[in-house]
Amino acid sequence: MNNHLDKLSSFVDAIESIKETIIANIVLIGQIPSPTFKEKRRTRIIMDRLAECQIDECTTDGYRNPIGIIRGSSGSNPPILIVAHIDTIFDKDVDHNFIVKENSITGPGVTDNSVGAGVLVSLPEIFRKLDLRFKSDIVLAGVIQSMGKGNLRGVRHLVKTWPTPIRGAVCIEAMELGRLNYYSSGMVRCEAACNISTLNGEKHKFKPNAILILNEVINQIMKLRLPQRPRSRVIIGKISGGFKHGEIAYEATLGFEIQSDSDKMVKSIFNDVKDIIEGISHEYEVELNLKTISNLNASTLKYNHPLVKSAREVMKELGIKPAGGPSESELSIFLSRKIPAITLGITHGENYHQKNAQVEIEPIFKGIAQIIGIIMSIDNGVCDE
Amino acid sequence: MNNNWLKKNTFHYSEFTDLNRLVKEKRKKNLSISLCLPTLNEEKTIAKEIIIMKSELMTRHELLDEIVVIDSGSKDKTLEVAKAFGADVYEADSILPDLEKFKGKGENLWKALYVTKGDIIIYLDADIKNIHHRFAYGLIAPLLLYDNIKYAKAFYDRPIAIGKNKIRPTGGGRVTELVIRPMFSLFFPELTQIIQPLSGEYAGFREIFEKIPFPIGYGVETSMILDICEKWGFDVIAQVDLEKRVHRNQDTKALGKMSFVILKTFLNRIEKLEMIDLKKDIYCEMIQYNLVKSEIKPDILKIEGFERPPIETIPEYRKKFNIN
Repeated sequence: MNNHLDKLSSFVDAIESIKETIIANIVLIGQIPSPTFKEKRRTRIIMDRLAECQIDECTTDGYRNPIGIIRGSSGSNPPILIVAHIDTIFDKDVDHNFIVKENSITGPGVTDNSVGAGVLVSLPEIFRKLDLRFKSDIVLAGVIQSMGKGNLRGVRHLVKTWPTPIRGAVCIEAMELGRLNYYSSGMVRCEAACNISTLNGEKHKFKPNAILILNEVINQIMKLRLPQRPRSRVIIGKISGGFKHGEIAYEATLGFEIQSDSDKMVKSIFNDVKDIIEGISHEYEVELNLKTISNLNASTLKYNHPLVKSAREVMKELGIKPAGGPSESELSIFLSRKIPAITLGITHGENYHQKNAQVEIEPIFKGIAQIIGIIMSIDNGVCDE
Repeated sequence: MNNNWLKKNTFHYSEFTDLNRLVKEKRKKNLSISLCLPTLNEEKTIAKEIIIMKSELMTRHELLDEIVVIDSGSKDKTLEVAKAFGADVYEADSILPDLEKFKGKGENLWKALYVTKGDIIIYLDADIKNIHHRFAYGLIAPLLLYDNIKYAKAFYDRPIAIGKNKIRPTGGGRVTELVIRPMFSLFFPELTQIIQPLSGEYAGFREIFEKIPFPIGYGVETSMILDICEKWGFDVIAQVDLEKRVHRNQDTKALGKMSFVILKTFLNRIEKLEMIDLKKDIYCEMIQYNLVKSEIKPDILKIEGFERPPIETIPEYRKKFNIN
C-alpha cells in the first residue's frame, strides 16, 4: 500500500522541472486582488487556468467556488477534495505587485494564500508531468469567503452541497512546510463595539471614552479563570477606534476569539464575556454590543488515524519534520462532517500577513510532493479503514 | 486628416486569446519567434517576465522559440536571475565585440538581431510590473494573422471612448504628449493615430528590423516608426491595445534627457527627408540645472546620438544569416 513512498524523492525533481508553470500560476493568481467577499476576479482567473489545463470538468458551484475535476478510473470510489482558500486580507487598493527572485517570491498575500491557490491550479499539470492517474475523482476547489467575516462560507457550502460522499480531503496553505493539522478547536470569533452617542451631551456628567470602555472589557476578560483542561484561551486580536489625539474616542471596536478543545467550554466562556459586556454597558451607561462573527465546532482526527499516520510517513520520507497544532480553517468543516482531512503547508516564509510577505521557492517542490504523496495514500484507501 | 488607419490597424489583445490558433498559424507559415528583453538593473522584474513567458508561451503553447536577455551592464543581479530561470543571457558588449561599443537600449535591440534566431522578434521592456503573456501574444498575433502587417506596436490605455458619452484623452506618457505628438502633428499628422509611439513593446519581422538603422538610445522607437513608414508605408504597422501596464515612473529630469534624444532623432530624420533645412549643426549637449548649496550649477550631458546602420550591412551578420 505504501509503494508510492519510494517515488516521492524523484517527484521533487520532476516537479521542480516545471517550476516556471508553478511560479507563473502563483504570480498570475496572486497579483489579482481578492479581499474576502470580493473574490470574483480571482475566481475567474482560476477558472481560466483550470480550463487551459483541459481537465475533465471546470465549473463553479452554487456559491461561486471555482472547481476543477479530474475524473478517476474507478467510477465508484468517492472523490478526494483538495482545497485552498482564495481570499486574502488585503484590500483591492493595495499594490499586488509580486517580485520574483532566484529563491523567493515577495508580495501581499503570497503567504496566505496565493502559493496555496497557485499550487492548486498547477496540480493537473504536475499530475501529467508525473504521469499519475487516480482511482478516485480529484476535485480541486478554490474556496471563497474563508477568512475573518467570511466565516468559511465557501467551504461550508461546498461540503454541505457536495452530491456524493467524500473520501478524504487535503487543505493546502502556503505556510509552513511541516505543518500537519488534523484537529480544530471549538471557536467563537467575536466583535465588541462601543458607541458613545455624540448627540446626547446631557446624559453623562463625564463623557466616557470608548477606548477606555473596551480597555475595561479586556481587563475583565483577562481576569476570567480559564481551565487547563479542556485547553481554553481568549485571544485579543484586533482593536481600533477614536478620531484624533486630542479628542475623546466615541467609537471603538475590539476583535477577539474564544478557543477551546471543548465546544461546551467555548459556550461557557462566551456567556461569561457576554455578562462582562452587559455589566460594563450598564455600569458606564454606554452602548456596548457583542457580535458573533463566526464559530466552529471542535473536531478531531486521532493522532493514529491512518490518514495522519500516512501523512507523517510521507513527510518523513521527504525529510519534513511534522509540526502539529489545531487549525481553525477549512479543515474543521470537513472534520465536523466526519470527513477525514488534514491541512498541510507548502513552503517557508516570513512577514506572514504584511505587504512584503515573502516565501522561499525551493521548498515548494517538496511541499507539493508531500501533497501528492498524501493524495496517493488516500487513493490507496487510508481514509476507507 | 484621414483616420482610416486607426480603424483598420488598431486591435485589442482580447481578439487574439485563442493561442492554439496562433501556434497553428505559426507552424503553417514555418516561422520562428524570438523574445528579446533589453535590461539594465532589472532584478526586481526580470524573473517574473521570463517565468510567465516561458510557462505560457513556450511550455503550454509553443509560440516562442527563445527568450533572450541583452544586458547593458547591470550592477545588480539581473544576469544571475535571468540565467537561473533559463533565459539566454548576453552582455551587449560581448556581441559583435570588434565593433565600437555603445551603451543604450537601441544598441541592445540592434545587437539582439545578431544573437536571436527568430523570423519574428518581439521586444518587451523588462520593467513591466504587471507582466502577462498578452504583452507578447497580443503583438505577435497581427503579424501571424494579417499578411500586410509587418510591425506591431503596443498601447495601453483605452483611447477615445470609455462608455457612453465619456471621452478621455489618449493615454500617452508625458514625453509622447509634450514632444512626439506635437512633432507628429506638425510634420506627419497621419502618424498621430499611433496612440503611444514611444511604448517599449513591439514586434516585427526580422526582414524589417535588419533593414533599418537603430539609434543607440531612446530615439530608437521614434526612428523605427519613421523609417518603417518611409520604406514600407504606414499600412504595414499595427497597434494593439494591451490594456493596463504598470512600470516605474521616471522623474522630469530623466524625461528631459529622453526628450532631447528623441527630438534629435526626429530632427535628423526630417532633415534627411528634406522637410526642413538646418543651416548649422545642432548641438549634442543636454543642459539642465541643479541647485547645489544655494548655487545654480549646470548639469551637462553629452548625447552624441549615434546610430547603428541597418544590421544587414554588417559582414558578420550577413555571414551568419547567409545573406549574399
